Amino acid sequence: MDFSKKVLKIETEAEAERISRFIREQVLARYKRKGVVVGISGGVDSALMAALSVRALGAEKVLGLIMPEKESSPVSEPYGREQAQALGIQVEYIDLTPLLSALGVYEKKTRVIRRLCGDYEPDRDKTKISLPGNLLERAELNVFSLTVEKPDGTAHSFRLGPEDFRSIYAAQNIKTRMRMIQLYYHGEKNHYVVGGTTNRTEMEQGFFVKYGDGGVDIEPIAHLYKTQVLQLARSMGVIERILKRRPSPDTWSGEVGDEEFYFRMPFEILDLLLYAWNHGVAKDRIREVLGLRDEQIDRAFRDFESKSRATWHLRCVAPSLMS
Amino acid sequence: MREKIREFILSRFMLDAKPEDLKDGISFLETGVIDSTGVVELLAFLEAEFEIEVEDSEIVPENLDSVDSLCRYLESKGVTVSPP
Repeated sequence: MDFSKKVLKIETEAEAERISRFIREQVLARYKRKGVVVGISGGVDSALMAALSVRALGAEKVLGLIMPEKESSPVSEPYGREQAQALGIQVEYIDLTPLLSALGVYEKKTRVIRRLCGDYEPDRDKTKISLPGNLLERAELNVFSLTVEKPDGTAHSFRLGPEDFRSIYAAQNIKTRMRMIQLYYHGEKNHYVVGGTTNRTEMEQGFFVKYGDGGVDIEPIAHLYKTQVLQLARSMGVIERILKRRPSPDTWSGEVGDEEFYFRMPFEILDLLLYAWNHGVAKDRIREVLGLRDEQIDRAFRDFESKSRATWHLRCVAPSLMS
Repeated sequence: MREKIREFILSRFMLDAKPEDLKDGISFLETGVIDSTGVVELLAFLEAEFEIEVEDSEIVPENLDSVDSLCRYLESKGVTVSPP
């Protein structure tokens, strides 16, 4: 297919049918399980996965887990509940805060943050980490900054050094891994498979946690770019509030979208560039279609290559000497 | 100073390589020698070893992406580097 701004448009009914068939085959024939359990985050990927699972198996064979913690966005739970109700699926609600507190997640983060911001108060201040702005406009490399937001609206940012970054990153990943534990408990108890919600944009760029949201039994939407997830979600009647919601990791008390947290450009252009990178589209064609300069395209492709290379281990089984 | 840079890159990012494998002009990012998290470690090394402060706006490939660029960058920050 020739590269154009419409290259990611999908035939939504055909795609929904193809994915539903895949879910049915995997769950019933391959795994020989009775249904699917999905973590319902209040975001579009999990809403779509739940909707596709209902189409594949029927609402009575889909279980949603709503698993917020104290740093989750306040809209995550109500949006998740509304979507689950719209689909007619059963949900279980699990507040992860006590479990995460017992594992010291919040305390570990507070220790690091207070080294940088001495007057940080976790019950009062909000925090987030982010990368430098749009990489199509800025040449800065990917170095995370921590931002502490005070109740009076002031904010202070601190560049994260290697040890601080790793400490915070490791602590935060416990949240996603705790969700995986809950999903597998309910999956195994009910003889269900754990349905993944990672899309292609995230999968290729390593935007998921090893054995966290990457720890699942099937990944039915991993071939869809984020913008295609949105197309399909809209066609399948995912609720408007979720369709309009800015995608975010939802692991920080401060508001941060996926774009500023990891991808450094809007999905509408990121997905087209990722497609072009994946398919070896000639640079002059990219320039013509997207109106970008060569240095912008080079910078984007360098970023894709770097992220893909650094996250190779997320997309394969652990290396071994097994032939 | 060039040797200190080379020693750091080899010991931290090219553990399985011989010193002659590190060419001073090669791009770290394009060859995968340093990935996105590696940049953070490189910054920490530069600031500690050469007692400089790297401004956010200076964290760009032009300054950091090869042994040669690092030497040029450090010279611009007033640090003396040894010739190749």
